[in-house]
Amino acid sequence: MSLPRRQFLTQASAGLAGTLLAGLVGSVPGCAPARSAVRGQLRGAGHALGHRLRDLKSLPAATRTEEIDLLIIGGGISGLSARRALHELAPARQALLLELEPGVGGNAASGHNARTAYPWGAHYLPLPDERDAELLAFLQQAGVLTGYDPATGLPHYDETMLCHDPAERLLLHGHWQAGLVPEVGVPAPDRAEIARFLALIERLRRATGPDGRDLFRLPLDLSSTDAATRPLDAETMAAWLARHDYHSEYLRWYLDYSYRDDFGVPAAQISAWAGLHYFAARKGRAHNAPPDAVLTWPQGNHFLAEALRHQGGAGEIRPNTLVFSLKETTDGRVEALAFDNATQQTTRLRARQVVLATPWHVSRHLLPAAPALAPLHAPWLVANLTVDAYPGGTGQPLSWDNVRYDSPALGYIDAEHQALRGFETEGPYSLTFYWALPTDPADPIAARRHALASTYEQWLTLVLTELDLMHPGLAAQVTAAELWVWGHGMVAPTPGYVWGPARALARQPHLGGRVHVAHTDLSGVSVFEEAFHQGRRAARAALGSPAS
Amino acid sequence: MGEGSVLTRRRRARAAAAAPAEGAPRPALLLGSVAVIATCGLLYELIAGTLASYLLGDSVTQFSTVIGVYLFSMGVGSWLSRYLGGALLRWFIRLEILVGLVGGASAPLLFGLFAHVGSFRVLLYGLVGLLGTLVGLEIPLLLRILQGRLAFKELVARVFTFDYVGSLLAAVIFPLVLVPRLGLVRTALLFGALNVVVAGVSLLSFEETRPYRRRYLALIALSLLALGTGVGLAERIQRYAEGEVFQDTVIYAQSTPYQRLVLTGNHRGELRLFLNGNLQFSSADEYRYHEALVHPAMQDRPRASRILVLGGGDGLAVRELLKYPQVQHIQLVDLDPAMTKLFRSNQLLRELNHNSLHSPKLTITNADAYAWLRQDTARYDVVLVDFPDPGNYSIGKLYSTAFYQTLRQRLRPGGLVVVQATSPYVARRAYWCVVHTLAASGFSPVPYHAYVPSFGEWGYVLAQAQPGTWRPDGGPLPAGLRFATPQTISEMRRFPPDMAEVPTDINQLNNQALVRYFEEEWGPYGQ
Repeated sequence: MSLPRRQFLTQASAGLAGTLLAGLVGSVPGCAPARSAVRGQLRGAGHALGHRLRDLKSLPAATRTEEIDLLIIGGGISGLSARRALHELAPARQALLLELEPGVGGNAASGHNARTAYPWGAHYLPLPDERDAELLAFLQQAGVLTGYDPATGLPHYDETMLCHDPAERLLLHGHWQAGLVPEVGVPAPDRAEIARFLALIERLRRATGPDGRDLFRLPLDLSSTDAATRPLDAETMAAWLARHDYHSEYLRWYLDYSYRDDFGVPAAQISAWAGLHYFAARKGRAHNAPPDAVLTWPQGNHFLAEALRHQGGAGEIRPNTLVFSLKETTDGRVEALAFDNATQQTTRLRARQVVLATPWHVSRHLLPAAPALAPLHAPWLVANLTVDAYPGGTGQPLSWDNVRYDSPALGYIDAEHQALRGFETEGPYSLTFYWALPTDPADPIAARRHALASTYEQWLTLVLTELDLMHPGLAAQVTAAELWVWGHGMVAPTPGYVWGPARALARQPHLGGRVHVAHTDLSGVSVFEEAFHQGRRAARAALGSPAS
Repeated sequence: MGEGSVLTRRRRARAAAAAPAEGAPRPALLLGSVAVIATCGLLYELIAGTLASYLLGDSVTQFSTVIGVYLFSMGVGSWLSRYLGGALLRWFIRLEILVGLVGGASAPLLFGLFAHVGSFRVLLYGLVGLLGTLVGLEIPLLLRILQGRLAFKELVARVFTFDYVGSLLAAVIFPLVLVPRLGLVRTALLFGALNVVVAGVSLLSFEETRPYRRRYLALIALSLLALGTGVGLAERIQRYAEGEVFQDTVIYAQSTPYQRLVLTGNHRGELRLFLNGNLQFSSADEYRYHEALVHPAMQDRPRASRILVLGGGDGLAVRELLKYPQVQHIQLVDLDPAMTKLFRSNQLLRELNHNSLHSPKLTITNADAYAWLRQDTARYDVVLVDFPDPGNYSIGKLYSTAFYQTLRQRLRPGGLVVVQATSPYVARRAYWCVVHTLAASGFSPVPYHAYVPSFGEWGYVLAQAQPGTWRPDGGPLPAGLRFATPQTISEMRRFPPDMAEVPTDINQLNNQALVRYFEEEWGPYGQ
């Protein structure tokens, strides 16, 4: 049943969680929307099991020992990519992958309802840089890239996986316009400023440094070491914008929206280098799509995670397993203690080489004398709503990505957008909302604790309020809402993170050169391409190191 | 609709009255009832005649036969009146309730059952006969009730005066007020209710009804309730009936999970099918559309045995295909089971498609063509693609390179695809976009067009899996075609300058170029 707003606020303000939520709900006018009975539950990544790392004494001692050749810890995109690379480069060797969750994929998780699969996290891949031969080879093996045009040499992608038209719409001034860059009803000076920024990005996209490398490239470690651009990592993107006379509210909203969508935080909390890299490193091209096209699937990037797993050989994947200790042994092995949450038993795994593909807040518990890397992860809410009525409105019809200007949320994806069928469905519609929760960089733990303490009912009110602002009256048509809270979302490239000393140090092999770290926390930019190459780099290091 | 000719009716009431009996109250009331029941009686006849000409066409025949059956049945009713004895007023009240219910339900029943009965004519004439018989009982009965209350010459003069006045009233208000304002269904229900009201007034006005008054009042209330409910449902049956959406009368309408199916008829006997308000065919000239869709491809395919039809649940393309003896198997895939069911079951529509949907060579699958095609493993000699126009992003996917590439894999070597491709005159870029999209999907396209009066200039694309495998004069055409000849087929391929090729984008899932062209070009036509 609907909670009266006053009652909700009273309840909410009782707890810390409420303070956060009340702030969000309070930023929108009107009352909590009318709604009917909604089915669903609140889930989240297995933080309960993960947090046992903080209390090692509660975990049992090892009851058995296994000899392992190659051990991969973490089944997100980095770990799966490392597994695939190991299989590709050394097919004769055995690799075991351990994963904390019941399934692999990490942030690229997905769910499904009666009608369709839908993403729980990362859900698209922009056209990759055509020079990224390893990524293209993977995509070709996965059937995403179908060949190369003989005349232009450009890759040809499976049309069904390119985001179908209409791709994006923005609710601005009560009208749904095409595309997310504000245009309709935007004053001329603002439009001029937006054009100026986009023209600069176009120049940066093609620019190279004195070392001949692109100024901005993915993976970001291939970017130029140019002395003029690297210092941009020290200031915030917001400061850089002010310094370069970018003041348009519309432009600032668009940039904040973009950064919150990828990093979870706005321009004021990321470095200027990362803020420019976000746009200027995108230089993919295709024979059958424009450069700004993206690849996407109903289940989001879980499609890519599955392809990586499938291409990674027959090596075992062991889920529900928490690694809580890594030690170098005297006989040249790495000993990992792995707690199986299903059997409640601990196994001692003795491996020749280890790829540690866990987020840094896990890795730093496992690595003695871990470098002082402190990635900022905003908490995220992802909500899949089943809605009985069409989310229309004036202007462009329902699109893949649907965003409200000036919203604290990030909008929603139509999960059935890529469906291959020729009739217009009468519903129900399956909409996946994304919401990067505001995080104070000075106290990121507070935001996470608030997020994890909030109830289903509180989250639901938040999401339905947002839905009602996008489509008045539609909240009453919601019949189911599945919610997922990510305590640790994606890493934010805060000033100094990407080119500071801590990241370089953290990337070095650990424990006598036998543990190789791989995770986007070690990039500072949490995108598929980074994770893919993190995994490959670690795999190559594991195979190439003298001890192996 | 020739109302004048209808008014030849009426030599009712042969049943002569006997000598007047002793004076009794309220003859005026009963004479007023005569006017009302006369109006109602003529209206039922007009409604049945109009409906029959909408649903079956050929208005002269329909009116003539409906009137004939109705008047004859009235004679039967008049003759039967001699068997009614005893409490005549009670019989009259019963009769009015019955006439009200049957007459009121006549139009909704005919509309509602049109699509569902095997033989519509049996239903039509059965109902007309029943109604005529009941109406034929009315005046003899009234004459006998009044016989003691008025002098015979007065009685006959007054009864027939009111009878004919009522008829004139009906004849004038039916075309001028009732059809345009209320529509046929609500008119029938309204006048049915009037008959029931006559029963009620008679019941309350005569003392002798007292013993059974309460029971009959309840019956009358129930009858009025039923007719009132019918008015509510009529809204649904005929939502668009006499509105501005369709020129003709809606004879069948159904909202399925996929679309709104509307079948209309007019007095020329022309049936039109609309899907979501867009004309799919007119029975007057659909042969042109379907001959042009089927025969250019089939005349050159003496060995084409396996055919796939996507869309086309009306069975009209299948009808043309079945004219080729070499065709062994036809797979029809249409989204909407309601569509194929309608064209399999309704007599008129089965006459139109020559019962093609019952052919043993045919397999019907109700599925989304894209989803179905992706899991199909069979291969075909000819594929007919007869989808709705690309008016939205969902249907636009069925015209994309991705779809055509999937389709190409389902062809046997040397196979052909024919695609209906909107009007090259109205939507020139949309049409050529389809041609270019087929070319980009690996086909070798042959564009052609035909003139279909209901649609205007209409475009098709014949797409060869391998170039040069189709010849325009490949073989003999089936006998009895009314449009396709070797000469018209060769003319179809000539495009005058106002429809000539223009450069366009290729329609892909990720640009939906076709839907944009289509919207721009058809937009001014209010599509």
